[in-house]
Amino acid sequence: MTRNNKLLIATLGVLAAILACIKVYQSRRAGASLEPIVLYCVLPHPYFSGVMQGAEAYEREHGVRVRLVTGQESSQANVNQNVESLFTLGHRAFAIYPVDPAGSRGLFDRLKRAGCHVVAYGAQPEPGSAAAFAIATDTRAAATLAAESLVKLIGGRGRILNVLESLTDANTPIRDAAVREVVAKYPDVEIIQTIGDVTTEQKAREKIESALVARGDEVDGIVCTGYTTTVAAAMLLSERHARPGAKRIRFVGLDTDERVLAAIRDGSIDMTLAQNPFGHGYISCTLLGLLLEGWEPKAPYQFIDSGSVPVTKENLDTFEAGIREMTRTIVAELKMKYLNPPNALESE
Amino acid sequence: MTMPATVIQERVGFGQRDWVSGRTLGLILFAGILMIAMSLASPNFLTQETFFSQSRYVAFYLMVAMSQAVCLAVGDLNLTVGAVGSIATVALGLLMGAEQAGLSPWVAVPLVFLIGPLTGWLHGMIITRLKIDAFIVTLSMMFVYMGLRSGISGGNAYTIPQSFWWLGQGSIGGWLPYMLLIALAVLGLTSHMYRNTVLGRRLLATGSNAEAARLSGIDTNRMVVVAHVLSGCFSVMAAIMWASWGGNAAPETGDNWLIISFAVAIIGGTGLKGSLISPLGIFMGAIIFKLIQHSLVILKINDNYSNTVLGALILLAILVDRAREHFDGGRRGS
Repeated sequence: MTRNNKLLIATLGVLAAILACIKVYQSRRAGASLEPIVLYCVLPHPYFSGVMQGAEAYEREHGVRVRLVTGQESSQANVNQNVESLFTLGHRAFAIYPVDPAGSRGLFDRLKRAGCHVVAYGAQPEPGSAAAFAIATDTRAAATLAAESLVKLIGGRGRILNVLESLTDANTPIRDAAVREVVAKYPDVEIIQTIGDVTTEQKAREKIESALVARGDEVDGIVCTGYTTTVAAAMLLSERHARPGAKRIRFVGLDTDERVLAAIRDGSIDMTLAQNPFGHGYISCTLLGLLLEGWEPKAPYQFIDSGSVPVTKENLDTFEAGIREMTRTIVAELKMKYLNPPNALESE
Repeated sequence: MTMPATVIQERVGFGQRDWVSGRTLGLILFAGILMIAMSLASPNFLTQETFFSQSRYVAFYLMVAMSQAVCLAVGDLNLTVGAVGSIATVALGLLMGAEQAGLSPWVAVPLVFLIGPLTGWLHGMIITRLKIDAFIVTLSMMFVYMGLRSGISGGNAYTIPQSFWWLGQGSIGGWLPYMLLIALAVLGLTSHMYRNTVLGRRLLATGSNAEAARLSGIDTNRMVVVAHVLSGCFSVMAAIMWASWGGNAAPETGDNWLIISFAVAIIGGTGLKGSLISPLGIFMGAIIFKLIQHSLVILKINDNYSNTVLGALILLAILVDRAREHFDGGRRGS
């Protein structure tokens, strides 16, 4: 037998012996306590910062520890990988953003089969998913509101640029369909061009700028139904509208990045829709806390609309209070509307 | 006349008597140290749950890394690793999705599998016949495939019927995933090919010095085509496993495979300049890659820096390997 082969056998033998000893030792000790709730954020992003603030507020107010975990990239594969690691550590209640509503099915199924509680936030998972709840903005309603607002701003007549975000985000086709439905109701409004397949702010900027350079004079309004596109369009329109004699293009976006709010404040753009990331975090954790206490969902899957608020120059400084109030109202109704008390089913 | 048994054995094994190389032994040792550290850090590490969960990733990473490593071994590279996986995933969704063709997995999977050798053959032919660098060919084909997958799917994911989830989600005894068994079988076959067959040695000879290999009678162009065909096969296998595992066929599948393929192959000791490949080493590379990722979660390392830690550890692994090579060379020289 060669030296390498002897070393291999020795290495494997020693390794097996050490791991066996550790296992025996650990089986005699009580395990360390884990945070009861895990809130999984997909990647560092202003939206997820808001979600984490909600989870931290829940932790402060209820004294229930929440482990906040942020992934490395916006892909379901990355979510699955990290959540599976957390699951193997012994965590049993998860609030997860389903990057791919269809792709999250396998993960949610596995977690549920293992006795975990799963709440989806930020987007709805595919029907039939094992998540007990989804807390999110009603995607269709928000896109419809954005499109309707833009049509009003352009006076019910004109050409609009429909800017979509990532093609692989399942919310994108819903938003696109909602915008098209609204436009179809107004015979004097047409979509001059649809821009899509945008995943980064840089790409959004390039694509929107190309469209504006090519046919800016023909465009009367822009509707952006994604975060990165809204930021990019707000920046571009701020530049454009600062030029003397530039045609005014009306704009409605989604989400409340500081740069978007600044553009509304200085009058460069008209409106954006504020979502409720704080509520996504706070309500998700509240639900998981109640499920861990033994409360039972009234139905296998329930959607909770976290609401969206139009933000214009008029309510720029007050809209956040409205969002917090919305969260408080939803939380106050949780037990009554969506849950049965512990042991209620047995007593029936 | 009969040959002595030892001579026959040496010819079949091309003179190799070590089960593993010194490099792979080092990887096994490093993975072992990581495992010991993690089992000490988390009482939940040495469990069936962890083994089941993490070994599926190891199996998957092995496939993705092999897809790159077979090309690196002939002195090429393949940037379409993820893009071919993506196209295969979309094809699988179109063939198996309930709202699409709705074909049985027994029909759909073999059809989809053909995408691997076909795309690989195409890349190999363009590289060898038109004498275009593999980097340029695979870079442009990557964009072709990514555009096709977005155009065909419109960004929509397809649901894979539950009847096919067994491959990615099933196991023996609840802890030994089928995926790992398949990966180990593929590992065994590939190892055998490189160690014991003429084809394997020719592939390595092509990667070592293509001109010398050609002058010694090896059809090096053919070897390059074979490497790309094998690469396509591994990519498609990874895609099929992933779709079955996730229960859906998402077009963005494969977007992050390129980095994984290089990272795992390099950690596993695959030579970037060709001729050096160890499937067992790549398997250990996949284990180390997964253990590092898992450790970031266990140790609660600030998630915002996790990619930095991962990159630094990959670099460290390469530096250790280079240092070992240097000292080995020094000892041999003296």
